Amino acid sequence: MNARHLPVASRQQVRRYARVLLTRHPRALAGVLALHAAAAVSGLAAPRLLGALVDGDGAADTIAVALVAFVVAQGVLVRYAYLAAARLGERVLAELREEFVDRVVELPLSRIERAGTGDLVSRSTRDVEQMSEGVREAVPDTVIGVVTILATVVALMLNGPLLAAACLVALPPLYLVTRWYLRRARDGYLAENAAWTQITDGFAETVDGARTVEAYGLADRRHARGRDDIAASWTAERYTMRLRTVLFPTMVLAFVLPVAATLLAGGLLHARGLVTLGQLTTAVLYVQQLTGPVETLLYRLDEFQLAGSSLARLLGAGEVPPDRVASGERPRGTEIELRDVRFAYRPGQEVLRGVDLTLRRGERLAIVGPSGAGKSTLARILAGVDAPTSGSATAGGVPLTALPLDDLRRTVALVTQEQHVFGGTVADNLRMVGESLPDARLRAALTAVAWDGPALDVRVGTGGAALTPAQTQQLALARLILADPPTLVLDEATSLLDQRAARTLERSLAAVLEGRTVIAIAHRLTTAHDADRVAVVEDGRITELGPHETLLAANGPYAALWTSWHGPTPTLATTSEDDH
Amino acid sequence: MKDPGPPGDRGPWWYLAVLAANMPGRLAAMAGWGVVHALSLAFVPAVLGRALDAGVVGADTSALFAWTGVLLALGCVQALADTLRHRVSVRAWLGAAYGTVQLVTRRATATGAALPRKISTGEMVSVGAADVSQVATVLEIFGRGVSAVVTIAAVTSLMLASSVRLGLVVLVGVPLILALAAPLLSPYRRREERYRELNGTLIGQATDIVAGLRVLRGVGGERLFADRYRAASQRVRVSGAEVARAESMLSGAQVLLPGLLLVLVTWLGARAVADGSLSAGQLVAFYGYAVFLVQPLKVIGEVAGETMRGTVASRRIMAVLALEPDVPAAGTARVPGPAPLTDAASGLVLRPGRVTALVASPADTAAITARLGRHAPGDVTYGDVPWGDVADVRDRVLVAVNEDRLFAGPLLPSLAPARPVPAARLDEAIAVAHAADVVASTGADAVVAEAGREFSGGQRQRLRLARALAADPEILVLVDPTSAVDAHTEAAIAAVLGPAREGRTTLVCTTSPLWLTRVDHVVHVTEGSVTAEGTHPDLLAASPSYASLVSRD
Repeated sequence: MNARHLPVASRQQVRRYARVLLTRHPRALAGVLALHAAAAVSGLAAPRLLGALVDGDGAADTIAVALVAFVVAQGVLVRYAYLAAARLGERVLAELREEFVDRVVELPLSRIERAGTGDLVSRSTRDVEQMSEGVREAVPDTVIGVVTILATVVALMLNGPLLAAACLVALPPLYLVTRWYLRRARDGYLAENAAWTQITDGFAETVDGARTVEAYGLADRRHARGRDDIAASWTAERYTMRLRTVLFPTMVLAFVLPVAATLLAGGLLHARGLVTLGQLTTAVLYVQQLTGPVETLLYRLDEFQLAGSSLARLLGAGEVPPDRVASGERPRGTEIELRDVRFAYRPGQEVLRGVDLTLRRGERLAIVGPSGAGKSTLARILAGVDAPTSGSATAGGVPLTALPLDDLRRTVALVTQEQHVFGGTVADNLRMVGESLPDARLRAALTAVAWDGPALDVRVGTGGAALTPAQTQQLALARLILADPPTLVLDEATSLLDQRAARTLERSLAAVLEGRTVIAIAHRLTTAHDADRVAVVEDGRITELGPHETLLAANGPYAALWTSWHGPTPTLATTSEDDH
Repeated sequence: MKDPGPPGDRGPWWYLAVLAANMPGRLAAMAGWGVVHALSLAFVPAVLGRALDAGVVGADTSALFAWTGVLLALGCVQALADTLRHRVSVRAWLGAAYGTVQLVTRRATATGAALPRKISTGEMVSVGAADVSQVATVLEIFGRGVSAVVTIAAVTSLMLASSVRLGLVVLVGVPLILALAAPLLSPYRRREERYRELNGTLIGQATDIVAGLRVLRGVGGERLFADRYRAASQRVRVSGAEVARAESMLSGAQVLLPGLLLVLVTWLGARAVADGSLSAGQLVAFYGYAVFLVQPLKVIGEVAGETMRGTVASRRIMAVLALEPDVPAAGTARVPGPAPLTDAASGLVLRPGRVTALVASPADTAAITARLGRHAPGDVTYGDVPWGDVADVRDRVLVAVNEDRLFAGPLLPSLAPARPVPAARLDEAIAVAHAADVVASTGADAVVAEAGREFSGGQRQRLRLARALAADPEILVLVDPTSAVDAHTEAAIAAVLGPAREGRTTLVCTTSPLWLTRVDHVVHVTEGSVTAEGTHPDLLAASPSYASLVSRD
């Protein structure tokens, strides 16, 4: 499972990144803090003025006018503080998600080819969402909370340090419980998220495979999987609920305790004439006012943790070690050569066991062989996606995986069965290989692949016209024609077309790609028949290599393959047609 | 959760009501604990006022201790009620979410093959992820809404009890504040909706990049797509700032309007204290009430917002619950088998115990096999009984196509049929499909990723074939079962499939001579009807359209 999942950033990395984010806009941040502080201070006037009223200092009318002034000031300040904070938050959020996408599009090729993108999908949706909720709500609330608490504590001290001391009773329980909680919460919420993702993934799978479920009568099995996922989710939810069952009551008591303590201490001090009734009133109201921000702060800790774990997953996408380091060597020519290439995905299980192959410039080489013989692995090595475990795969004398990615793409391109239609116009789907390509060239490329889909300006992919699997492959091949590298590797690139269409496409492709080196892996032997050379791969080795006719004459495995595939009665078909 | 049946043309409240009816106990507990919690909060200003009046102003230490004790007791009630309310809210949320996921899952499995034609996968998945949470949130927030209303009522009556004038001021003032803040709400909601829309598009764009990453990394265009994402992300940022502008007006008003009411109460209270009609403690209590009332007012706003979103989600869930399969559920006729299966529209007849091959265009193949498999309605008879009347159609026929998906999970169990079968049957199926090397390469217990991603196209196809063979239905229809497999393996599979299916009915839809030379009978269909049948050599000689379909020259 670990090989399939991308890494998650460590706490230290998350903290470092959060600091970078915060300090990137120092002036905006300072403005937000100043506005919130001013708003918090103006909010502290009312209890103080009420205290004055209680003590009979100043006329009720004057105090009321002052109160109105402070309330208006607070209202205005809160509005602008909020706006400034939200603007900053949106900016940071935009940077965050854009940087995530930047990291995603830099992910090592070999990782994506082998591990797929399932894990990334949930990061780019769920985690980005969770993160934005955090930044849009938890962060501003936390800023307000911290600023308000600090201002209130200062006001409490100014009102009377003796009374202020009373609220210290809340600190030990708050500290202990919060620490206990925070130590467990992160993992708890991560597990909760993972369990929820299992539920939605299972649902998506059922939806996507609805036909299969019906045909095979798997409904009960899918429902059972759903029940298991729900049971697992419930276990995870119950754990965090237990954490909160400890946290919440402690918090509530921690709020009531200082109010009671201030009241009691104040009453006793008042009896000795050490504080006035007004001071006591102000102190009690301040302590009560602390409840709101402290509660918000602690409540948001949850979301902070969630946002933190999402951030860890977003940052983790950048933690995949690069699979290639450009050596700086300059290739002499573009000829690709394999020398004693061995490859194993798992130690001890070699998929390729000593492949030697020198590609001739401009040749068409077909690779055939039984399923599981290592053809696709060979294709990935030829295309510089994976480096051989031992031996060498070079272009112009330089290992393919030592070329910078841009140079590699100018040297060799790989098209596999796995294709994707991007949401956008047909032209958008082609222009990704060159933004300035004129429409005429796009059309020419589409003609070369016998395109029968919608016109260039029609929206396809998500939210647009649906393309058939065959059209998706045609589009991918058109893209390849436009990219035009000297060497192309086609791994079953026409397998989803029906036989006739595939053959037509391959022939028109051959005309367009004249002069390029084309390596085609295909189970349809017409491809081999039309190629200059055929390589038969069996059990991780090239067992036969040569032109179709030569191999037929040699009467080896290829000849056997051809006879069985072509069918024993090829001549009959032509005769019968001639008869008509 | 019990299936509520199809929603018909009822409004979005229906599903919310169905959910509520499913958990009356939890809702009652939520509201009950919410009310207890609200009351324990509402009494705090009153207790404080008493403590000040009796304990401090009256200099009665024992009263001070007593009222402090009452305050602490209220705190304990608060802690208990808050925690219990939270726990039952979580249960309600989860209950609603779990129940809804199960309901829509059951709808998806019941709709079966017709599902993709009726609703897009993306829409279904977003129902399963987003809308399920949203309706659950409506139920969860219900408890908070009830306690907010009770709080407002309790505080108002406490105030009326100590000063009618001040009580009335608050009683009129609170709804007035709500009314004054209301016009600020609609621009906020409008912008928030726009923001969500843009954000949804942005997420779609990210998903698109991720799904096509293989392609992007392979041929380039990362910068182009990242830049495009950046542009959309900036649009979301601008829209977010617009939301913030509207929201900031709202939050300013949330301070200003209750603040002014607070000043009014304090000012009137201070004058009452001055003329002796109100005690200092009571003034502090009034101040406390007016401050405290802001919170439940905010909650009411939140409840309104979430409920509105909840009705939208509920409508989308109901659209899923209304889905029906194209073909009604199986009939009731118990028919002894085996019997020939006849498709009237094309004239294709599958004789029991034989391996038949169908050579036809992809469109004809799809239409005929959908009818044979009862995935689409059609005039198909089993013996002389209409196929739709047969009770156990699903057990009798299986149409295996290449669009079938492999499900995530341990490999071997995911290939085993729904009914329990001896392990030997599965092993045999794997052997016939020549998939033993695939199983060996990962290990039989290995967990397969969704859609069998880690396997190549040919490997996936052989695993699918093994699964179809293991199901061992009376009638098995295989559509292009070896199109992604190399010739050697294809020939080997074609050679052993007949003996393996001995005594059962099999249809292979293919154009490969490797199959056509080995089956018992070949049927050629053009434009929807059988135009020729016989053996492969007969048809090659007799039908030019057949010859051109199967020719490999």
